[in-house]
Amino acid sequence: MEGSEELREALVALRRENDLLRTETTHAKLLLTALEAVLSVDSRDDPFAGVFSALMTVFESCRAIVLIERDGSAGELECIAADSPALVGTVWGSSRLFEKALAGRVVATISDSDVSSWPDALERDFRIGTPALHMPLGVREKRGLLLLLRAPDQPGFDRAHVALAKKFSLLASHALAARQAHQSEAESHRLKRLTEQLRISQAALSHRANHDQLTGLPNRAHIQELVDNAIARCGKGKRMALAFIDLDDFKRVNDLHGHAAGDTLLKTIADRVCARIRDTDIFGRISGDEFVIVLDDIDRRQDISEMVSRMRGDLCEPLWIDSALIRPSASIGVAFYPAHGKDYETLRRHADIAMYEAKKASKGSIAFYRRELGRRTSERQRLEQRLLRALETGAFRCALQQKVDIRSRAVVGFEALMRWIDEDGEVHAPGYFLKLAGEFGLVDEMTDLVVGDLLDHLKLLDARFGTNVRYSINVSPTQATHLPFIRKLVERLHSSGRPRSFILELTEETIAAIGPLQRQVLPLLREAGIGLSIDDFGTGYSSLATLADLTVDELKIDRSLISSIHSRPRSQSILRAIESMSLALGISMVAEGVETAEENLYLMAHTRLNIGQGYLFHRPELLADILRSPQAVQRNLCG
Amino acid sequence: MVRVKSFVATGETTPETLSRLAEALERDPLGASFVYIFHDALHDSDAILAFARKRFADAAILGGTSCNGVMSEAGLAEAGSIGLLVIEDPDGDYGAAIVKLEANAADCAEQALHDALERAGCAGELPELIWLYQAPGREEEVIEGLRRVVGDRCPIIGGSSADNDVAGQWRQLANDGVLSDGLAIGVLFSSGGIGFAFQGGYEPSGESGVVTQSRGRRIVTIDGAPAAEVYNRWTGGLLDDKIGSGGNVLASTTMHPVGMDVGKIEGITHYLLVHLDAVLEDGVLSTFATIDEGTRLYSMKGERSRLVERAGRVAAAAAAELPQGEDSLAGGLVVYCAGCMMAVGDEMPEVARAVTRRFGEKPFLGCFTFGEQGTMLGRNAHGNLMISAIAFGK
Repeated sequence: MEGSEELREALVALRRENDLLRTETTHAKLLLTALEAVLSVDSRDDPFAGVFSALMTVFESCRAIVLIERDGSAGELECIAADSPALVGTVWGSSRLFEKALAGRVVATISDSDVSSWPDALERDFRIGTPALHMPLGVREKRGLLLLLRAPDQPGFDRAHVALAKKFSLLASHALAARQAHQSEAESHRLKRLTEQLRISQAALSHRANHDQLTGLPNRAHIQELVDNAIARCGKGKRMALAFIDLDDFKRVNDLHGHAAGDTLLKTIADRVCARIRDTDIFGRISGDEFVIVLDDIDRRQDISEMVSRMRGDLCEPLWIDSALIRPSASIGVAFYPAHGKDYETLRRHADIAMYEAKKASKGSIAFYRRELGRRTSERQRLEQRLLRALETGAFRCALQQKVDIRSRAVVGFEALMRWIDEDGEVHAPGYFLKLAGEFGLVDEMTDLVVGDLLDHLKLLDARFGTNVRYSINVSPTQATHLPFIRKLVERLHSSGRPRSFILELTEETIAAIGPLQRQVLPLLREAGIGLSIDDFGTGYSSLATLADLTVDELKIDRSLISSIHSRPRSQSILRAIESMSLALGISMVAEGVETAEENLYLMAHTRLNIGQGYLFHRPELLADILRSPQAVQRNLCG
Repeated sequence: MVRVKSFVATGETTPETLSRLAEALERDPLGASFVYIFHDALHDSDAILAFARKRFADAAILGGTSCNGVMSEAGLAEAGSIGLLVIEDPDGDYGAAIVKLEANAADCAEQALHDALERAGCAGELPELIWLYQAPGREEEVIEGLRRVVGDRCPIIGGSSADNDVAGQWRQLANDGVLSDGLAIGVLFSSGGIGFAFQGGYEPSGESGVVTQSRGRRIVTIDGAPAAEVYNRWTGGLLDDKIGSGGNVLASTTMHPVGMDVGKIEGITHYLLVHLDAVLEDGVLSTFATIDEGTRLYSMKGERSRLVERAGRVAAAAAAELPQGEDSLAGGLVVYCAGCMMAVGDEMPEVARAVTRRFGEKPFLGCFTFGEQGTMLGRNAHGNLMISAIAFGK
């Protein structure tokens, strides 16, 4: 949640900065045009034509009027320039607002301003409380003002206009003073050079606002504009394709070779694609390692397929950065206009979905959008939202499945299992949601809730089953090597006051990645007194030598070896071998997935295995249901 | 050039406290164009106004009672405090007016705005900012009246005056007097520029529903079910003991307001918060803001640490909006909801410190209110549990 708040703030700040930059560059461009008009035109000509054209566009006004103090007539102003020739030469009575503007203030009006002194030559509509902006302007060595008017049904000028008017007013007054004072040619050239410098700065500013600084490609906002324009120009029956390119494993390049290498890679990718695309195509960088290409006016889908394939080929050429050989790879998704969307945002989103599909299938591949993909993505997004809400409401609970003495059926332990009780009360096993939850990084929080549920009910479980029962908690490979998670889990279990009642179940796969596990995780468990169990034993890649190095409390023989064991001699042989090894090492064994009486009979008769788990003995039940059930208390015979 | 200074004094009696303020003003005199005054409701507002009018004869004066005192760059002043924020801006224009809120609050607000503009010598002009301080209860109508004149073309910022016990002892003041059921309006035309920000410190908790029946500040049903029951479900039983009997829930819901979606930036939603006041008969919820039927309400939740830090962030956001940049900051004003103050509790001094840090140790004054007004995504609005900040440029 803290991340969401900071994200909102960062996005607001970025949006504000970007909007400001883009607005200011647009305004700067237009206002520079106005200033150039003032400076470039022969001094005998009217300097205001170009000025009005620019100003009325920037300020979205309908009328522009320049008034100056009238010689010999205090309290009167004369119109010396206006967009409407009929107003030139008219006389205006001064007003409080005019006086303020003449004194140097920029004033925007609200409704009901006093316009009684305005001449009849001005259309009636503009004499009835019309929105007005007054800005001071020095003209012909006199005080003057520029009055901008909007139509009565237009909204009034706002603070942003006032701020812009302040900037323009100052520059325009200087420019006009230079014109009127018949400055020396040197001065005139100096001002023109200044204007040229300003134009260069403005162009640079505009480029910065619209382009990615690293690659020089159009940025996200500018791409949208370009694509919207391309769509608008696209004739009936014409097609375009939008390809979304995501570099695979780009983060690894940064992590392994440094950010300078990552930047070089991005620039190289940009250059390679630029060399391949046509003049009519659009290519831009929208974020970190994501690019968009819009291929304009395509004839056949096959053409696109070939072009994109060639592009991908270019992109994936290895390159040397410093002394490291980098082999770039990119997953590409393609969507077509108009079939897959009629605006940039829809096309980009669909191409993104296709790209994601390409990445899932095989990194470095190309996929084309299909409606089916869109549907699946929507479902995935819906599930993500549901999972997030479920986390907020604590809807992940602990279910328990008994581990029993296969001969006496006494309960010796439980395996804690995660269950999601959704908003309709339906209970879901991990198979439904765990993979996606892993992709979204939600599994740790879910595990926290399940462990919390178990710890909260420990006393009640003790009352039912005794205190010698042990509880196994599953830990994924990612979690097992994530030290902060393990530390937190160990602390929680330790805080129960009886850490020896808990066992962490890790799969063979995790044990196989022994390095960090052995160095850091196992000592934590040992010190806390928490047990370790190898889950699904017999399916992974355990090295016997590794087993020799580890102190493991329990091996859970995978169901695949237990299933129909009574009729499978090879499984029987393997089980005997595991049993022999376990006994020699003093490791307890659990038979997983015991589902039939025959299987159990075999285990009882032909092995020294004592503990079993499976549907034959007990189906997983929600912890709350176990505690509610009226069945007789079953205590561990040993306690 | 704009200069801003804050002066805060604390005392058990008004004369004693004003005397301390006078000493502070003597030590650090400056001219005044606009003076904000906020004070603990225990003090005598008329005496405070008389003091200010004498000291700052030519300035626009505006303010009122603030819940349990004020804060400034000197820290949290707490009970018995009076705070002044003095703005010296000879090149700007400022005006203030006060009006009793009669039957048509929108008309009263519109008139007060024109009066304040007249006082500023700026009749007919769009101000840079409109500040308001009013009696709690009719904020939406007031904003509507002001929006008739300025729309959303200039920010309307302010707060609903508060007392210490929600006992109706709140007051508002401006040059012309003190009222308890009034609206004080200030118009600011600052020569140094103004920045502002208006934010809440809460996040959505995941639940939401549509208001299917409402009456002004009463939510009757959400998604067709009694509002209190729905809210209780959202919050995991927060109102269990009130569902049957009804009653005040102000304190218990401070960390769980509801929010309204006021727009998105880059897909991230911004929320205007509403604080719940009581559970009424038939599961009706009363609130401190008007909610229309058809509005989707979001269950929000807060954390103390976030409410502490948020004030500083809002201050920084306001300073960042200054036309000449945050380095031009001369001083600021913060409106912090009294409900948030209740939730933050003994960490309030850290709130003052957070604002001080983010305002770069520049002078500021903070008041604690029963409602906040500000601009969110370009629209002027009233909310609860919000934090509003203004930054004044040099």
